[in-house]
Amino acid sequence: MLRNTLKTLLEPWGPTGNEHHVVETIKTLLAGHVDSVEVDALGNLIVEKKGTDPDGRRIMFAAHMDHIGLVVTSIEKEGFLRVMPVGGINIYRTDARHVVFENGVEGVAAIQPVKEGHPQFSDLFVDIGAKDKEEAEKMVQVGDMCVYAPTVFDVGKYRVAGPAMDNRTACAILVELLLYAENQKHTIIGVFTAQEEVGLRGATVAAYRVNPDWGLAIDVTGTADTPEVKFPAVNLGDGPAVKFVDRSMVASPVIREALFEAAEKAGVKMQREVLPYGGTDGGAIQRARAGIPTGTLSIPCRYIHSACETVDIRDMEDALKVLLQFVDL
Amino acid sequence: MDLKTLCELNGASGDEHAVRKAILTASRLVCDDVHIDRSGNVIAHKKGASKDSPRVALAAHMDEVGFIVVGHTEDGLLRFRPIGGIDPRVIVSKWVALGDVKGVIGAKAIHLQSPQDRETVLDYKGLYIDIGAKDKAEAERLCPIGTYAYFDVSFEPFGEGMVVSKALDDRVGCYNLLRILQNDYDCDLTVCFVTNEEVGLRGSAGAAFAAEADIAVILEGTSANDMGDIPERFKVCSVNQGVAVSFMDRASIADRKLFKEMLAIAKEQEIPHQVKQGITGGNDAASFQRAKKGCRTVVLSVPCRYIHSSSSVCSLNDVDAQYALLDAFLKSREVK
Amino acid sequence: MQIEQFLREVTFLLGLSGNEQEAARYVAKAFEPLCDEVHMTPLNSVVGYKKGTGNGPKVMFAAHIDEIGLNVTKIEEDGSLRMGSIGGVDPRILPGMRVRVHGRETLLGVVGAKPPHILTEEERKKNYKRDDLAVDLGMPAKKVKELVQVGDLIQLEHRFVELKNGRFTTKTADDRACVAILYEAMKLLQGRTHEADLFFVATSQEEIGANGAMTAAFAVDPDFGVALDVCHASTPDAPKEATSDLVGLDSAIGPFIQPVLRKKLMDVAAKENVVVQSSVSPGRTGTDADVMGITRAGIPMVLLSLPLKYMHTTVELFDMRTLEEGGRLIAAFSCAVKNTWEDELWT
Repeated sequence: MLRNTLKTLLEPWGPTGNEHHVVETIKTLLAGHVDSVEVDALGNLIVEKKGTDPDGRRIMFAAHMDHIGLVVTSIEKEGFLRVMPVGGINIYRTDARHVVFENGVEGVAAIQPVKEGHPQFSDLFVDIGAKDKEEAEKMVQVGDMCVYAPTVFDVGKYRVAGPAMDNRTACAILVELLLYAENQKHTIIGVFTAQEEVGLRGATVAAYRVNPDWGLAIDVTGTADTPEVKFPAVNLGDGPAVKFVDRSMVASPVIREALFEAAEKAGVKMQREVLPYGGTDGGAIQRARAGIPTGTLSIPCRYIHSACETVDIRDMEDALKVLLQFVDL
Repeated sequence: MDLKTLCELNGASGDEHAVRKAILTASRLVCDDVHIDRSGNVIAHKKGASKDSPRVALAAHMDEVGFIVVGHTEDGLLRFRPIGGIDPRVIVSKWVALGDVKGVIGAKAIHLQSPQDRETVLDYKGLYIDIGAKDKAEAERLCPIGTYAYFDVSFEPFGEGMVVSKALDDRVGCYNLLRILQNDYDCDLTVCFVTNEEVGLRGSAGAAFAAEADIAVILEGTSANDMGDIPERFKVCSVNQGVAVSFMDRASIADRKLFKEMLAIAKEQEIPHQVKQGITGGNDAASFQRAKKGCRTVVLSVPCRYIHSSSSVCSLNDVDAQYALLDAFLKSREVK
Repeated sequence: MQIEQFLREVTFLLGLSGNEQEAARYVAKAFEPLCDEVHMTPLNSVVGYKKGTGNGPKVMFAAHIDEIGLNVTKIEEDGSLRMGSIGGVDPRILPGMRVRVHGRETLLGVVGAKPPHILTEEERKKNYKRDDLAVDLGMPAKKVKELVQVGDLIQLEHRFVELKNGRFTTKTADDRACVAILYEAMKLLQGRTHEADLFFVATSQEEIGANGAMTAAFAVDPDFGVALDVCHASTPDAPKEATSDLVGLDSAIGPFIQPVLRKKLMDVAAKENVVVQSSVSPGRTGTDADVMGITRAGIPMVLLSLPLKYMHTTVELFDMRTLEEGGRLIAAFSCAVKNTWEDELWT
């Protein structure tokens, strides 16, 4: 069940560069359902589910496991931690924020008062309740990372909010595709990627290794249905979206067309997305080796890169229906 | 080859030939398999003890930051731009060399400056190199566009065990790689002296593609901001506190296990070390990490004050610590 | 086909970055009679292969085929279209522009501009931003929604005009004028011998990251590369150091260029009496050369540029004679390339 898979995947601690706990969770969920499992040098989890058609395509699906966080760069003598962002942290969304470290230490991230202008990341600190540097160093080390605490809650009947919807939502969809695809025509190579948030690094090496015929990234995208937001023109609850363009790529026409074809077969109406900013693993796959036709399937999400990222379960269910057709085209 | 010789050679990104030649000669004395690849990198390879030996790549960049002539004024001055990142505020009133031609980066004398002048930061469009040419034609003949210019300075020991020089970033790394190349280890070792790091980590891309390493260790020089009234959190690292090990920078996140392993070895063998307390900068580790199927990487740096200027400063103890840690790490990778 | 006709036709065709199919098909067809083999890559670059006589080195020439343009990001209540850009479109050129919207049909549209009479003093002092502008299709919203969807491509107006002194102006001279240089070179090479295996590539996606050149270079795996792109020709408002004369090709010097390979090109130019100016690129050249130089184990690169005024507008202006000289130079260079050059690069 997608809602349950999603909630299971929202738990493991996994900032960029430290995705190993997410890998373990996914491995457990997929045990017995895939033909091969490996983890590469950057920590990507690569699984394969063979298709039945000997002339079928090898399709690489990418869903990134990592989410944004903060890394400790120094410890003050009063016991406060100085931090820098890992991935696209929005500083305003990090003030008075509950954060957690890998070893379970919890703290509060806060912005110190700023004399003039906007706060910089050097104005940010984390309070873990240590009275001095010596005590703090027993709890955390320079180089350790923390993330927004995984508080997940339901919003209305169909929506769920919490940190890490970007991109455990996609991981959940990809896990369920691998669980429920049965005797599908094409070979599914599910790549749960590492280090997407700092520049699609995991996908870059995974795409080289896998060298698929087609690539499809699954990722969340913003919506324009909250006050004063105009782009992208996508609404939460109106279904998944076919991405046309973002800053990392122009989606290959053949993949876009295949997504629309799969959607028609699944009886799902797709939204169309043009994003003036942002990027997904699709960009890295498209430029691998001699070039790979690639696209992205987007899941609408409000308040991306915050502790309350909000998705609609119906959009996820529709996305899964489309993908089950996509692997059988 | 000693560090002084290496630092005094002129070789900015795209103009590395003098450094390349010296390193090629020095490498061939201690290694049979040395070649120049398509990016102008010097690649030295030492086979592993067995076919199961881990494949390790080591890298340091040969290029330094410098300047390039882009035009000439009517009265014979040279217009120029930086190669790599050089803050224009550190270059005024310095001496430069363009091949055999000497020049100076001049500016308006203080007596002639207005209070407003003294507040204005000169950028490259407002700066010029004076070689003493009498007119445009002479300037063009002596230093045509595309001529490289270098800080004309020497490598000098000073203080206690410290040195001041240009190009410590990254001739310290090259120096230590040459020392490593003299030793024998069990690992299959590909030692890469790369080009064009300062203009976008370019030489290392080709080196990484060909090396196909499991692990890569990059030797660098990194900014130390430890002098003056600076709050702890902005210091990044300190000179004379040992080799700096990085957990992350703008271009790569260190492989967590390798990072921890470096610190553990340093602690166990009592090699002076520190953790780089910041995520600034980017280096060739990125190229190795992202090449082909990927590779695990970590960066070891010598702290350098006033990096990317004519007078950067480092401690020879830190240079030795960088060598000692890499040597200990490679020894620990024995195939049992 | 005469070069003027080729250019007139190819600059019209639809080929926004990432959707180059129409323009690519035309170029593939034009290359066919001039090459041993022509194919399209997975990302829609066109590769024309001409086999050499020896165990010659492989040389890849790259000129990009993609154009900058716009796309539909939103359809407003009144039927007007909001635009996003593909590649760097200066919003200042948009007010009053006629465009072709490629929906279910190709429609003529106008990018509206407020009449000066109703603008305030304040408003008139500021430049238009793309978010303030919209495309007017001159039809009711209901009809618009039947014919146009979010994601549809919008092409800038095409007018191929001959001016005085052999100067021409058109959209997409960047970079199809350089594709035309390759076409000229290929025509001149008919009946000439060359040791090297030549790959003439009309690359895709240069304006959005040069993925076409990167992936084509990966597949071709050349020993040397020559990128061809436009550079800025002097205009009164631009700094002298950053521009070249309109008449005469240009070749950049700098860390992204292999200096010995560049000298070989300049030697060929001198021998053939082709004028090539020199300029300096202290860092990125902003062309296919940048990605090609770091593809695979690295590719030694040289850049040949056609000076262009008013780049990234619908009135890009170049000198036709210079373009033809480019064809002559590339053909001569192709015949001059030898295997031994590789040994000379780093000594």
